[in-house]
Amino acid sequence: MLRGWVEFSVCGKYPERFINITSRHRVRLWKVRRSDDRFTACMYRSDYRRIRPLARGAGVRLKVMQKGGLPTLLYRYRERVGILIGACAFVLSIFVMSLFIWSVDITGLETVSRSEMNDVLRNHGLYIGAFKPLLDYQRLARDVMIERHEIGWMAVNVTGSYASVEIKEEAVPPEVDDVYSPCNVKARSDGVIVRIEAAEGETVVMEGSGVIEGQLIVSGIRTDEKGTHRLVHADARVMARTMRQASFSMKEQMKLLRPNAEEAERRELNFLGLRLPYRVGAVDSPNAVSNTTTEVPAPLGITLPIGVVTDHVSALSEEEIILDDNSAEELLAREAQLYEVFALQNCAIESREYHMEHNGGVYTLYATYTCVEDIAYTEPIGTDENTDLTPYVAPTENKK
Amino acid sequence: MKEHPKETKRKTSFLSTLNAPCIELSGNRELLIEGSKGVLSYSADSVRVNTGGMIVNIAGRELDLRCISDSALIIDGFIMSLSFTV
Repeated sequence: MLRGWVEFSVCGKYPERFINITSRHRVRLWKVRRSDDRFTACMYRSDYRRIRPLARGAGVRLKVMQKGGLPTLLYRYRERVGILIGACAFVLSIFVMSLFIWSVDITGLETVSRSEMNDVLRNHGLYIGAFKPLLDYQRLARDVMIERHEIGWMAVNVTGSYASVEIKEEAVPPEVDDVYSPCNVKARSDGVIVRIEAAEGETVVMEGSGVIEGQLIVSGIRTDEKGTHRLVHADARVMARTMRQASFSMKEQMKLLRPNAEEAERRELNFLGLRLPYRVGAVDSPNAVSNTTTEVPAPLGITLPIGVVTDHVSALSEEEIILDDNSAEELLAREAQLYEVFALQNCAIESREYHMEHNGGVYTLYATYTCVEDIAYTEPIGTDENTDLTPYVAPTENKK
Repeated sequence: MKEHPKETKRKTSFLSTLNAPCIELSGNRELLIEGSKGVLSYSADSVRVNTGGMIVNIAGRELDLRCISDSALIIDGFIMSLSFTV
């Protein structure tokens, strides 16, 4: 294809003689076909020029039937310089573009965020548009692993202009519960005991009794029949009915930002990390919200280094409103619901009471919750010789 | 010193093998001849190839010379018979 080929026909008295002459002169023939008194064959363009005088000597006549290959193509378009320049520019651009990273793909992330990892890789020289010959992938992986301890293993594989970063995060050993050191179970907050599920230790509080914050519930000191004390790791689940109070406030006068009809669109061409704006729009309002989308073409699964970043800006206008009782109650009730979802997620809410007040232009919602929750927490027992263990000893009913 | 008659015969046979063409036939569709000295005649039905010590006659249908170089050639087509003229 690069050398160019010629398909020709040979006619004469002894065409075989011509075949032998060509083979003697180390000229390669192919697609030799006989038809009637002539045959057709193909040979390289450069060989054809050399073989013409020899054909005359062999007594045969050659006639070109078809030409092909790169030299023929160049000759055909010799007048059209633009096509030639365009083809050269295309080949050159492909060559130059292959020297840069087009896309970076990160796999294996679990706790580390993708944007954070992108920033780390960027700091170490791996980003879209990075010059490939300057990158040392092994060193990069090593440096990142040294910098970020949460990354246990990392590899950078570059196929063409596509960089694939494989990451295995370091396995954190699970925390081992201390089940041997002696401790007591105490109350985290005030409440009435509903149920005690003691796995170890001496229960010192009966179900149904009230406890205050910090009160001993299950003792870590066990006393046997002979009166000998033994320290154990007390473990219990103490379900108690507790009261929780919360208040939520809101001013009567509120400023709201609402989107108006004013909108604008900004567009940028992202080429190897270089952003070229080609549509500029702006809104007059000082407050605005923008929504950015990036479109990157990926034909046949190959992400190209070119993309369009569209920034859709919506203007917001400031409005002042005065809340009435109903809307204030509705808004504050929503806040109370959020409080229940996030702050009381470990509690079973038995009942709730709301009370709203309006004083000095401020609405306040007071919420009182009755919950059932686990109020147990463990506190280690000091084991020095001077430690007074008397307060931890469970009162025995059969004391004589 | 007199050479052993058996040894002389073996040597002669080996030398003649070196001069002989190498012919490779794939089914009856393709024939490769290495060590050809020239094509004596060529038509769609028969090809005669000079290999120096003998002439290889190939008869068949739709015979094409797929590739010819200075010492080898490949014949394509339906080969019906192969004979040698020594």
